[in-house]
Amino acid sequence: MLSETLVADVMAHALRGGASFAELYVERWRRRYLRVLNGEVKEATSGLEYGAGVRLFYGTEVAYGYTNDLSPRALLDVTGNLVRARGAVGRVDSRGAGGLDFRKAAARGLHTPQVRFDDHPKRYRLDRLREADAAARIAPEIVQVECTLQEWEQDILVANSLGTWAEDRRVRSRIAVNAIAQENGTVQTGTALEGLSVGLELFDRHPPHEVGRRAGAQALTNLRAGPAPAGTMPVVIGNGFGGVIFHEAVGHLLETTSVAKKASVLSDMVGQQVAGPVVTYIDDGTTRHGWGSSEFDDEGAPTQRTVLIEGGVLKSYLVDRWGSLLTGYAPTGSGRRQDYTFAPTSRMRNTFIAPGETPLEALFQQVDQGLYAKAFRGGQVKPGSGEYNFGVQEAYMIRRGRIAEAVRGAMLVGKGPDTLRRVVAISGDLRTGSGMCGSLSGAIPVEVGQPHVLVSEIVVGGEGA
Amino acid sequence: MTQEEARRHVLGKARARGVAAEVLAEIGRELTARAHQRKLEQLTEAVRGGLGVRVVVEGRTGYAYSEELTAEALDWMLQEAIDNAGLQSETGGFIPAGRAAGHKDLVGEALRGSLEAKIQMAIGLESTIREDARVKQVLHASYAEREWSVAIASTEGADGSYRRGVAGMIASMVMQDGTSRKQGFDDEWSTTAAALEPGRTALEMTERTGRLLGAKPLRTGRYRAYLEPKAAAAILAAFTPMWNGKNVAERRSPLAGRLGESIGSPLLTLVDDPLLPEGLASRPVDAEGTPGRRTVLVEGGVLTSYLTNSETARTLGQENTGHAWRTYRGILWVAPTNLYLAPGAGVTFTDGVVVAEVMGVHAGTNAITGEFSVQALGLRVEDGKIAYPVENFAVAGNFLALMREIIAVGSELKWVYAGRTACGAPMIEVSALTFAGA
Repeated sequence: MLSETLVADVMAHALRGGASFAELYVERWRRRYLRVLNGEVKEATSGLEYGAGVRLFYGTEVAYGYTNDLSPRALLDVTGNLVRARGAVGRVDSRGAGGLDFRKAAARGLHTPQVRFDDHPKRYRLDRLREADAAARIAPEIVQVECTLQEWEQDILVANSLGTWAEDRRVRSRIAVNAIAQENGTVQTGTALEGLSVGLELFDRHPPHEVGRRAGAQALTNLRAGPAPAGTMPVVIGNGFGGVIFHEAVGHLLETTSVAKKASVLSDMVGQQVAGPVVTYIDDGTTRHGWGSSEFDDEGAPTQRTVLIEGGVLKSYLVDRWGSLLTGYAPTGSGRRQDYTFAPTSRMRNTFIAPGETPLEALFQQVDQGLYAKAFRGGQVKPGSGEYNFGVQEAYMIRRGRIAEAVRGAMLVGKGPDTLRRVVAISGDLRTGSGMCGSLSGAIPVEVGQPHVLVSEIVVGGEGA
Repeated sequence: MTQEEARRHVLGKARARGVAAEVLAEIGRELTARAHQRKLEQLTEAVRGGLGVRVVVEGRTGYAYSEELTAEALDWMLQEAIDNAGLQSETGGFIPAGRAAGHKDLVGEALRGSLEAKIQMAIGLESTIREDARVKQVLHASYAEREWSVAIASTEGADGSYRRGVAGMIASMVMQDGTSRKQGFDDEWSTTAAALEPGRTALEMTERTGRLLGAKPLRTGRYRAYLEPKAAAAILAAFTPMWNGKNVAERRSPLAGRLGESIGSPLLTLVDDPLLPEGLASRPVDAEGTPGRRTVLVEGGVLTSYLTNSETARTLGQENTGHAWRTYRGILWVAPTNLYLAPGAGVTFTDGVVVAEVMGVHAGTNAITGEFSVQALGLRVEDGKIAYPVENFAVAGNFLALMREIIAVGSELKWVYAGRTACGAPMIEVSALTFAGA
């Protein structure tokens, strides 16, 4: 995307200004978005985004600048501004830099889509969303269906003053269906979505009619559901997107963003038992076509599979370059950012609880009275206190070991380390789901996943008795 | 080319093809200085901009945008927008007739100041937070400013521009007392950098988080709820889509078809005012160039208006309130500006729970049904006084019921600022909500 000479010039400019490390991140996006309401196109848009971010380290101090003018003059200006700004607070030395010898790394094509961004006419997309719409209408109570399709194609180049030069193309597609069910003045919603690092073969992996049907079925279930109970009780967390609970309760607590400043309740605990012995927790940036996968992270490091917790023992944190500098832990290929307007921080990729050995039926049989939280909305956590929450989108009561009536409108809340220790059983049916995770370096695509997990007690925030 | 040239290029090409088009051009500037251990830790200085086009071809609407301002990219953008319009089967789209509205600068000298002085504000904020002995770590403490220049022009005569900006202090700290740990995430925004007071803000932040240390579990039950201003504003913000004319027109709002009805307590008045002096989200015109004006949404509990743009106003057969929302990358939508619950006579504590902070609002609220269940931190009120802090609970209800059950409204308004909209509320007292805890 940029010439080697220009990139080397930017690095040299920064190093002459006293920086100990310089990094240039350049990207170009093509995006499409289509929203279809009741089978009719409401909005269709296409976009082209591009820009560059320059990051300089002065020891552990960071300067970051970005622009979407990619001319040599603009890039040198951004760098010059950062160097001058630093001059206002510290010493600028006159150290020069020799020519840089970049080690060029190209993506191996592990996540290359079968269907390219420009394949298929626009009308094809509309037709496929209409299949989802039709499939969601499983009963007359379904009064409205909204389907959206997002497509991204992102080309990136990351180069740094240590000679890293990595280029990657990330292609992602995501379908979402929201259904509204109505009866006698009561309104309820159902949602289903699927995203992968693929082109429109997404529709082969997740046929639109299946996604639609799930959304419709959930809306109907919620329409018939009573209010969720309020109080502390055992909870079976559903597989797939249920993994969002550990994303919030544990994953964020392992990012060096918080760990490096000891602002995480799991700081300095490598080697210690932090979870029940049944828990193994993995963050894998290499999953083929995973929603959160890429060949390189946004600092140009190859992504990897990182075992975070094994048999309940904390094994590793999620480490980016800056976090590595602060903590001494080796980087794990976890430096991620929303786009060029954010400096990267340590983030999750595809994070999941490994399969356990408890048969599904036996897992439910351990619960006399509790909640089966089957499908979820997002959540949030405070790493410094471990307090987390996540919203339940579909749930059922468990009575005497069996799934009973549907209930709705509950948020689960707790403290991450407590919840981790209260994981008592894990089944073998691992599945994953796609989400968008928001943090210091913006909103990024991540997968969460798990088999069914039994937690001995969590606060269920329903409105019922 | 410059944005001005790019705008002329796109509108010229659109006219030549007989296509009605509206161009929204934006340049955003960011400055963030983050302090750690009484030193500058991270400095971000940057500019981002682009151009978005909305076209209407034979009544069909399409969108596209570009950050690359070359003729090639702009021509691609226009063609994509026209192709996207071809997907629509509905033909009611139009670009509203506009007029020259001139340029308004809402920033002036308000964000002036040396970089060094701004870095010192971040350091001042961080070091004052650290002075509290209960503060164990400061995750981040920053001075931040954001500025936008927005220009709107169309083939139908709209032509206006403005510049607006905000400055703020943001911090997160971990506090500990014995084994009890709490983490605060807090921010304070203003339209002028000089109005920020790092020392006072730091003390308020540590006070807000520190008072929650030593919290006890809360027994599950129904309690009278005193929602503190920022918690009330956060919940209100999550339900403002109910007033969004787009959702009303698409029947995705429980307030659809209820204009003139009583939907809340007589103490409830809701206003959106894009012209509010010092308003964090003030702007002279909306994203279609329609001049902004104060709109009363609920007056004394009666639903009086929705928020609309030209399109939703026409669909609903109502007046355009000038609340069109679009960024150059987005599609035409409706959004509030400075939306607030009008202050009242005050709240007197009797017995219940003060909800000091709500978390998980994006996941725990549903603006289509009105249901909410959010994580909260708070203070138990007994015998008219704050007794002790409480934790590890969720508060649940339905916003439609909550509006009816407001029994007192505080006198002091506070604002939460998210992206480019601001939501304000005083303390509100709700007769009862369900609290799920121990």
